Amino acid sequence: MEFFRKTLDPVFALATIAVLDVFLFLLLGAWTVGGGETMMTGLIAQSVLGEDLQRIPFWSIVFPPRADYWKIYISLGMLTGAFLGATLSKEFYLRTPRRTSEWLMIMVGGLLMGIGIRLAYICNVSTFFGLLPEMNLGGYLAISGIVAGAWVGSLFYKKILEG
Amino acid sequence: MTPVVECVVAFLFGSVVGLLMQRSRFCNTAALRDAIMFKTYRNTKAMLMAMMILTLAFTGFMSLGAGHPMEFDVGLNTFAGLFLFGIGMVLAGACTVSTWVKTGEGNIGALWALIFTFVGMFLFSLVWSWNWWPPAPQVMTGQPNLPALQLGFANALTLQDRLGVPAIVFGLIQFAVLLAIYRAILRRERGQRVKHEQHQQEVAGHEA
Repeated sequence: MEFFRKTLDPVFALATIAVLDVFLFLLLGAWTVGGGETMMTGLIAQSVLGEDLQRIPFWSIVFPPRADYWKIYISLGMLTGAFLGATLSKEFYLRTPRRTSEWLMIMVGGLLMGIGIRLAYICNVSTFFGLLPEMNLGGYLAISGIVAGAWVGSLFYKKILEG
Repeated sequence: MTPVVECVVAFLFGSVVGLLMQRSRFCNTAALRDAIMFKTYRNTKAMLMAMMILTLAFTGFMSLGAGHPMEFDVGLNTFAGLFLFGIGMVLAGACTVSTWVKTGEGNIGALWALIFTFVGMFLFSLVWSWNWWPPAPQVMTGQPNLPALQLGFANALTLQDRLGVPAIVFGLIQFAVLLAIYRAILRRERGQRVKHEQHQQEVAGHEA
């Protein structure tokens, strides 16, 4: 099938996703990822800590863990869709970072993403494809933040690449 | 809609998104990083296209009172959080979407980033439980709360209510701005192509 042989034009792909996001907005709310990831974090923490999780007020006040939170399933869907796409186009293979510095850089990056999402109460997807199109004041502040952060991150990244 | 149906709808949406992202190699991180570092705009254009469609559709439906816009108070934490996120996504080489998509392709580095995103979230939950900032969404009122560095809630709908102008009018203004950025990128790409062709001709001339 042609679809699995050729790379899709990203402008077409994102336009299609935007149209689907409009339906999601009408049914449930705009596309978001960070909320579902937080709920997954809570569920994992609950499975490890059990009742002790209640000693951390965040998980009883802001995000009481529950498995029927729809945003979780967007992320699981993305994982499934990408796996199917990669498998059917014969692009699935295990890729592992080679150097210790790469593992470290990704680890720090992941930590900053997790802390940043929770500090802001939103992620990059909500910023670009939710808040900004709703013209929420938070969208403009968030975009200023993420562009400034990406610029600083790029400086670090360049230094690491060159160093 | 029952929670189960909500989850099924979300899963179907996510699956199509994952498939399209995988096949198009779109990456939000690249949309910002490549524009800043390499002056290439393949992903930036795609992101802008989605933002233009969504601005028109969301503000259009909001004018009619339809849809589920986010009830979201904004504060300095919004800027600070996304600033940290911006640094993190460039270092990790992936954002919230591409960590899932690349993990689905077998990228262990993306899975590593995902694991530490979860760890970062858990660490933040500990800090929040100690200093209780930013305020929990349940206690946000939509009004500015300066001691807590919160600026309140405002979107196209609050503008419509306050000014009596339909939300879509503001949406059209934002659409025009996004379109201007999109066209500026197209112009810049044309300029890059012309420069590249001239360079190639010069090289060919030297070789001849």
